[in-house]
Amino acid sequence: MTTSSAPDFREIARHLTELGHLAEQTAQHLRKGQGDPQQLQLFLDVSREALKGAALLDLLREADRERQENETFLRIGMQLSSTLDIDELLQTIIESLRDVVDYDAAGIFLVNRETNQIEADFLIGYEKADRRKLREKFEEGVPIGAGLVGWVVQNGEAVVVPDVHGDSRYIPAREATRSEIAVPIISGDEMVGSLNLESDEVDGFTNEDLEPLRTFASLVAVTLDRAHFHREMIIKKRMEEELSVARRIQLSFLPTSMPRFTPYDLAGLNFPTLEVGGDYYDFIRITDGDIGVAIGDVAGKGIGAALLMASFRASLRLESQSNYAISTILQKVNRFLYETNPPEQFVTAFYGVIDRRNNILTYSNAGHNPPFIVRNNEAIPLDTGGLILGSFPYPEYEEARVNLQSGDILAFYTDGVTEARNADGEEFGTERLVERVRAYRELGAMDMVRRICRDVHHFQSDKFSQDDLTLSIVKCQ
Amino acid sequence: MKLTSEKRGDVFVINLKGKIMGGPESTQFHDHLKEAIARGERKVVLDLGGVEWMNSSGLGVLISAFTTLRNAGGEMKLGRITEKIQSLLIITKLSTVFDTHDTAEDAVNSFQ
Repeated sequence: MTTSSAPDFREIARHLTELGHLAEQTAQHLRKGQGDPQQLQLFLDVSREALKGAALLDLLREADRERQENETFLRIGMQLSSTLDIDELLQTIIESLRDVVDYDAAGIFLVNRETNQIEADFLIGYEKADRRKLREKFEEGVPIGAGLVGWVVQNGEAVVVPDVHGDSRYIPAREATRSEIAVPIISGDEMVGSLNLESDEVDGFTNEDLEPLRTFASLVAVTLDRAHFHREMIIKKRMEEELSVARRIQLSFLPTSMPRFTPYDLAGLNFPTLEVGGDYYDFIRITDGDIGVAIGDVAGKGIGAALLMASFRASLRLESQSNYAISTILQKVNRFLYETNPPEQFVTAFYGVIDRRNNILTYSNAGHNPPFIVRNNEAIPLDTGGLILGSFPYPEYEEARVNLQSGDILAFYTDGVTEARNADGEEFGTERLVERVRAYRELGAMDMVRRICRDVHHFQSDKFSQDDLTLSIVKCQ
Repeated sequence: MKLTSEKRGDVFVINLKGKIMGGPESTQFHDHLKEAIARGERKVVLDLGGVEWMNSSGLGVLISAFTTLRNAGGEMKLGRITEKIQSLLIITKLSTVFDTHDTAEDAVNSFQ
């Protein structure tokens, strides 16, 4: 189908060809009747010129079509680089296509990689009723292989159907459609969909239309690739921004200096991962003689975990300043988290208070990896307590009192320490942690924390995803 | 995470496999559970025998399922929990909340 707006070279060529044939017939007629040789020659000349003209016009027609195609591609190319609205781009491409191959309706059908079904992504020339009909047919998507569209995607070949009613593959959607042409949309070496044109006339398309249509299909592929790339870039950028916010929140909540609390030596370190988990540790001064020691791990990663950690920290710091029993503090923190977060967002935490006058640690453990006291050849786990915080409405928390002795070393950690894995998949584990604490017992608390964290980093293999790593040590001197 | 489910008597058994680590993946599981509740299922067993790995977000998935069922007047039990999951449940004290069994069969029978 040529367009009506372009100069109709084909029509002129047809007239000239007719004229040529007519002149030739007249000449033959004259030859039989042995007419005037001069007249005969004139007719022969006219017929030759007319046929030559027709051939020339055919060439011109081709040239003009190419020129138009090139102009169209140039225009689309410019638009491609200036806009990233995918629907707008597809609209431009499909509308420009009309300048090269005329159609009554057009559609871009793409394979949904998740469902492996073909979906109608872009339609033009469909009436409301047709659209509804198509949507009904394509709502669940069409399996690859079904219909003309499915056939094109499955075989990766183009198809020209002069009469859709004579083709068993055709799935009717648009009432007026009589003929159809479709080419595959290929991105790299992947079949991503099909570009379809429909005509209300039988024989609306010829094999000649395939070449420009293929070029347009590759433009569609380029457009989709670019849009996909752009989308990924935006998502990546957003994630990076989110991570940097989360990291700032997390870091701002960790102690920047270690409190002096003689005769106790306190230290802690946190190594956040790239993903930003929700590790937390804290030393909370309550009275001159009492200091709170906290460690916690928030479920999940990213900004959600950072915000939950912020809530937990605020609540713990608030409640710990009131003169409540530790079990009551944890109950109140739990209630606050339970009311403000969905149950799957929880915190595992240990909270204890060291009374330096009486050398007593009072604590309760809310579902956190048990800290331990290294005393001579023993490692005493601090596991009295109750449920994780934030998931259940009214858990009870038991508390325990431990008399501290000179030489005791208390170690608090998150699972990033004990679950660090080496290349063989072996975990660092609590036994190794206890052994490291013993090995470095002569060091100050901060040096001990540094050495152990370094050991964990050495132990850990890049093969496995890494978690936040937090360790804090309290030495009783 | 992969899931399949089957009916054993009046108990709905969901088999979970692979890694349970929350996130968008768990949506499929929650949808599956919600559909089951909408159909009237109230007795649910999670068979965790095929679970290779679970992190804290994965525990969140179990907690959420437990809460959803309880709010609907139903009950969730756990069957075939691996040693690793067992130790996670002990540390978090979730073992005091979840009804756990050595086999899915035991978990199903415990409803009777």
